[in-house]
Amino acid sequence: MTRQNESTVLFDALGPKGRRRSLIASIISGVVILGLLAWAAFGLAGNGFFEASRWVNPLDVLVIETTWIPAILATLEAFALGSLVAIVLGVVIGFGRISRFMPTRAASTVYVQFFRSLPLVLLIWISFTIDGHFGFTSEVLGWDGDARRLTFLVLGLGIYNGAILAEILRAGVAALPPGQAMAGYAVGLSHGQVQRLIVLPQVLRNMLPAVLAQLVILLKDTSLGYVITYPELLHSANIIGRDYGNSFLQALVIAALIYFALAYTLSKLVVYAERRLRKKTATPAKAVERIEMAVSNQIAT
Amino acid sequence: MFDNFELMAEALLEGARVTVVVTLASYAIALAIGMLLVVMSVSPAAPARWAANAYTQLFRNIPLLAVLFVMYFGLPSIGIETTSWGVGLVGLGMYTGAFVGETLRSGINSIPLGQAEAARSIGLTFGQSLQTVILPQAVRVVIPPLGSLLIALVKNSALVLAVGVTELTAMSRRLIEDDQSRFDLWGVIIGVTVSYLVIAFVLSYLVRLAERRAAFVR
Repeated sequence: MTRQNESTVLFDALGPKGRRRSLIASIISGVVILGLLAWAAFGLAGNGFFEASRWVNPLDVLVIETTWIPAILATLEAFALGSLVAIVLGVVIGFGRISRFMPTRAASTVYVQFFRSLPLVLLIWISFTIDGHFGFTSEVLGWDGDARRLTFLVLGLGIYNGAILAEILRAGVAALPPGQAMAGYAVGLSHGQVQRLIVLPQVLRNMLPAVLAQLVILLKDTSLGYVITYPELLHSANIIGRDYGNSFLQALVIAALIYFALAYTLSKLVVYAERRLRKKTATPAKAVERIEMAVSNQIAT
Repeated sequence: MFDNFELMAEALLEGARVTVVVTLASYAIALAIGMLLVVMSVSPAAPARWAANAYTQLFRNIPLLAVLFVMYFGLPSIGIETTSWGVGLVGLGMYTGAFVGETLRSGINSIPLGQAEAARSIGLTFGQSLQTVILPQAVRVVIPPLGSLLIALVKNSALVLAVGVTELTAMSRRLIEDDQSRFDLWGVIIGVTVSYLVIAFVLSYLVRLAERRAAFVR
């Protein structure tokens, strides 16, 4: 018996009557869903949502060159730098949380609990405001506006997601069969060696899907640069929408679609990493399951 | 440091109240949508499965802020009047609903196949095996991830400021940018941080309580 999902086991194979009923259910649900979509489409069309000019104007070659492409690049730049900061912080804090040295452990715990409880938008905006208040980066370091905005967006993304990645790594360490570390101690490795040679490589590999999933969230969160007017996609879409007053909604939809394309590509990578994890590792199925639970526990934002 | 302390505390409390209301109301919407999605995604009707899958993919890959903006400016053009609160609650709920649906589905999938087979082999019907064997176990599995979704929602609720709901973050912004500058920067920052920490800790405590009550030994 092939298994697709749980529900197939729960009832017997459908007879002619059941098949007919399920066909009718399919048709009805299909009609309802299509009806809803059609209703929305007609409503939009009635307001001229699909008028060609409204789409062509914000997608003019000049606009693409001067605004859309720089916006995508700005989003990707914030994403790349933010990921880098987040991963470095995540590894440091994550291993701090399981350190044998109490103060390190306490400090890491406070860090994680603190930054995990605050909204990212507040972190980004407040650090930006504090800096603006004292004029440190603008006067002492002499940075211009965009450099400042990028810095505080990246800092916010990195600090917040660092706390989440630290939790993911800690969950990964907890999910690792204890025999792994014991075997290391049994052959005479020191604590540091066990962590470095046995625990860390396995945890990093096991948690790769979870880390990548969090990076998808980080990519979406770059849109929060909007609150400090960093010229990322969403902010630029707003500006384009204002320039072409008739295309405001269209510009937003285009931005949403670009986000979708970027995030979807990245999440395909997560699925690929998950599949490899299932195939390649010696990690027992039970542990993979525990890791997956840890991953779904981490869904944030 | 705490200039006009009482005025500030009053404003922040009001902001915190709005944050809690937005969080709980949109969580209720999200739970309803998530349940609908999980029913659709295991139903025998293919169009329902496709729709559920499309919905989940769409909302998981678009930033919440973009969702809120598109709804805020898009809904009026299909003839739905919008208010800040309406878009804030429904947008947040629809967005979180996609995540709730995924969580519920993985909860049902996490029940070992043998459980369903055993239930069927002793002659329980579809409804009975679901009711007495699968769901009681699945509910316990999904409580922790549903709890962390709730806590994530507290933080996400800050984004409804973008459509004009004055919740805690928007309120602190208003205090700092007060045109008579009656409030000290650090005072407001400490106030808003403490408010969020308190909300998060109280909610995590309640979630842990629920977890403990539902805990079982396998």
